Amino acid sequence: MQADMSSKKTIKNLVLPISIGILSLIIGLWLSQQMLINNNDNKIPKDLDATVLPNARPLAGFNLVEQNGQVFSPEQLKGHWSFLFFGFTNCPDVCPTTLKVMQSVWKTLPTKAGDVGHPKLYFVSVDPDRDKPETLKQYVQYFHSEFNGVTGKLDEIDKLTNQIGILYGYDEKDGDNDLEYIVNHSAQLILVDPKGRMRAVISPPHVAKTIAANFQTIRLFYGDE
Amino acid sequence: MSFIKTFSGIFISYLLLSGSVNAASSLKIENTWSPEAPPVAKVMAGYMKIYNLSNKDIKILSVKSSLFKKIEIHLTEMSNGMMRMIKQEHLNIKANGHIELKPGGLHMMLMGKLKPVKSGSVIPLTLSFDNGETVKVNLKVKNDSKPQMKCGAGKCGSM
Repeated sequence: MQADMSSKKTIKNLVLPISIGILSLIIGLWLSQQMLINNNDNKIPKDLDATVLPNARPLAGFNLVEQNGQVFSPEQLKGHWSFLFFGFTNCPDVCPTTLKVMQSVWKTLPTKAGDVGHPKLYFVSVDPDRDKPETLKQYVQYFHSEFNGVTGKLDEIDKLTNQIGILYGYDEKDGDNDLEYIVNHSAQLILVDPKGRMRAVISPPHVAKTIAANFQTIRLFYGDE
Repeated sequence: MSFIKTFSGIFISYLLLSGSVNAASSLKIENTWSPEAPPVAKVMAGYMKIYNLSNKDIKILSVKSSLFKKIEIHLTEMSNGMMRMIKQEHLNIKANGHIELKPGGLHMMLMGKLKPVKSGSVIPLTLSFDNGETVKVNLKVKNDSKPQMKCGAGKCGSM
């Protein structure tokens, strides 16, 4: 009897610490969940048709020219999400097809130019001999008035493409007509975050619906900051 | 003599109505189109389906157009992470087979645009083949890059 009474008393004495324990566990779990939401930087979202870099790669040290003749450096990639696509305007198949796809992506964006989270698209010509900034402007704006053309000196272009892993090369450049040659190039779309860091690579074949959905998933996962 | 005149009249109208003055018997070309390109672009692409209705392989010798300086057939191919354009010299169409030129694959590269080409207009092409036949076709210039394909029950067609 005596023993029974004391064990009841012990249980009674334990109720408070146990409840506090459980409560703090719940709070702890909730807090760590909150931490996870606020710190996704080194994690990657699931179910994507894109290769997301677990550690976003800062892009630095290139000095190019955009379509209006202004400087295009790492600073211009900050403050908004950016898609980068590399090509040339004398490209009959891959470039116009991809820019058409991006035109469709732009139609489905839930944001407008100027809104937080609204991306920019930069079509970087790796053929500066033929593509002057004004030519590029007319070329990209045919697809969408918000699209931007970028080019520059070859060694500056290389500074950007080398960091990203984009390849390009010329065929038949020594032919009889020096303006008729083919440029081979990587056709990946590169997604750059608002801190100017390479965040994801989207490989061809490019499908508008997939790109649009992946972009929103990545954007919401990492935030627009 | 009036019989002959009437007959040739009927024959000529038949040729005109059938859409092709070159009555090429071994070849059939369908779905000829070209995506409208930015006015500043000097190159465009040509897409189509070419059927070889004969029992012998037929090769394409050349493609010409009054609107472009030069036309080549290329294959877009992914290799080592790069999209390469592989020039197809004398592209072969197998006996009773067909080839399809479409975005992201085989395509005609129309180079050196001589005049503006807008959506709704046509690009005349003359294709010469190694069996001696030449076929004239018109590429319809369209504003959409990819024709929507509707496939079902093993059949595909443009919507």
